[in-house]
Amino acid sequence: MFLAPTLVLFLLIYAVPILTVGVTSFFDYSYATLTFSGLDNYRSLVSGTLTGREFVKAVGNTLIWIGLQITVHVALGVLVALGLSRKPFGWKTVRTAYMLPNIVSLAALGIIYLNLFDSRRGLVNGVIRALGNKDFSVNWYVEHAFLTTTLTWTLFAGLVTILILADIASIPEDIYESARIDGASGWKIDWYFTLPLVRNTIGTSVILAATSMLKEFELIYMTTNGGPGIATLNLPLLIYKKALIEQNYGLANAMGVVTIAIGVLLIVLVNRHLLSSRFEST
Amino acid sequence: MQDTAIHRRRHRRHRLRLRQDASLPERILMSLLLAFVTLLSLVPVIWVTISSFKTNLEIMDSAVSLPSRITFDGYVAAFRIAPILTFFVNSVVVTSVSTVLNILLVGMAAYVLAMFAFRGKNLVLVLLSTSLLLPMTALIQPVYIIVQRIGLYNSLPGLILVYSSLGLPTTLFIMRGYFLSLPRSLLEAANIDGAGFLRSFLLIMLPSARPGLATAAVLQFLMAWNEFLYALVLTNAIRSRTLPIALNYFKSQFSFNYSAMFASIVVVIIPSILVFVLLQKQVISGLTSGAVKG
Repeated sequence: MFLAPTLVLFLLIYAVPILTVGVTSFFDYSYATLTFSGLDNYRSLVSGTLTGREFVKAVGNTLIWIGLQITVHVALGVLVALGLSRKPFGWKTVRTAYMLPNIVSLAALGIIYLNLFDSRRGLVNGVIRALGNKDFSVNWYVEHAFLTTTLTWTLFAGLVTILILADIASIPEDIYESARIDGASGWKIDWYFTLPLVRNTIGTSVILAATSMLKEFELIYMTTNGGPGIATLNLPLLIYKKALIEQNYGLANAMGVVTIAIGVLLIVLVNRHLLSSRFEST
Repeated sequence: MQDTAIHRRRHRRHRLRLRQDASLPERILMSLLLAFVTLLSLVPVIWVTISSFKTNLEIMDSAVSLPSRITFDGYVAAFRIAPILTFFVNSVVVTSVSTVLNILLVGMAAYVLAMFAFRGKNLVLVLLSTSLLLPMTALIQPVYIIVQRIGLYNSLPGLILVYSSLGLPTTLFIMRGYFLSLPRSLLEAANIDGAGFLRSFLLIMLPSARPGLATAAVLQFLMAWNEFLYALVLTNAIRSRTLPIALNYFKSQFSFNYSAMFASIVVVIIPSILVFVLLQKQVISGLTSGAVKG
């Protein structure tokens, strides 16, 4: 009885949709038409047509961004956490500030960055001009679209920092005692003692950072909308366009299957390589 | 007792010194990094806030200037030209109702899944856990059709239904973890007192789990307040759209009223920032427990 409402929500928003996505990816499916078409949708994903090119680009971008997230993004978050774990002056303020971009509306952040990088009224160009380069006028989201969009999430690893920081706080103090006896100090303690001990949380962070790129929508939709051309297209944005704008449901759901498959693959890989049994048993 | 306390304190002092053993260049580099990420995070928010008090002309003129005088014209325009007020009210309704629903309904499930043994429990847990890992971006088409079929397209109840479910995995993990940490004797005492199932849940277990409840609620609030993709997919009329979608309009409609645009951004981000800064403890404990359990 107590379970019923949650199970209904689960069926309605997770179970039925995921089955629909799987099944209809084999159908030619639009508004009202639903005809079995075998692997046609999947075939067109890798064909030389516009759809094929868009899909390959979207998958490629998504994978590049996942790669950057699990390396640069996680490393930056861990580094900041190590710095904050020494409790320097103002460490709580830094922790709060760094977390802000992770808790405000991504749509709002998108519009903020769009303005920040605007060639005319943007702060970035404004500062460069104020520093002396008076005619500086780069249209960041057009001329360097991929780099600019990448920067708007790769550098903001506040969540990683918070997770690692909480884990460091739970390390028993005797460990550092033995570190001192071994004559270690500074970064050596971090490298040889702290990092191995927070390995599980780093694994969790890698999963979160990687799968976040399968959800990234607003920061692209609000700024480049995948452009110029298809330069900054990713899977969520392409699925949205195919499903809601072109109403090509079958095709959109075939892309959905690929997205889910990438997600499952990432989790399995990270579980196997980074996490110990403690994580699996919880 | 006292002995261990002294012992612990000595240990802590010791550790502090150890951790600060870092060499000078190392400390300088680290300080620079911390200053860099702080600026990176704060400057955009501060810049937008300052800009929202500038006139349109001042915004066009220079990105780095301060407003010559504080003007609220941007805010007035945002509320007058755009239906910001409707969006704002919609956001408040959708966020608060979906938070209460989510916490109550999923809290009930978490309670049962934490305290009782029954057949199929593990299957239910495994199934529900998968929802934590699903990229919801892949499910927009079926959710769109389902919400349309049950007649809730373009309505606040439709958004409330979907948002209550989007927060399902997070709330389930936080609440179940919290119920598991409660002493079983609490439940037994309630049973001895003759409290029924529902009563012991509502009057004893739920209030005992208040910290877990608060943590889950804060995360659900932030998710619902900020959610954009499903709001975009499931609504198409002003009467049912939420604040984040309002920002979408600025890409076209307000192209020339920048101060209104900056003012609206501030209206969207301030509640999240306030909730986070004031309830930071809950947010952090929720994020860490949810993530580690996930």
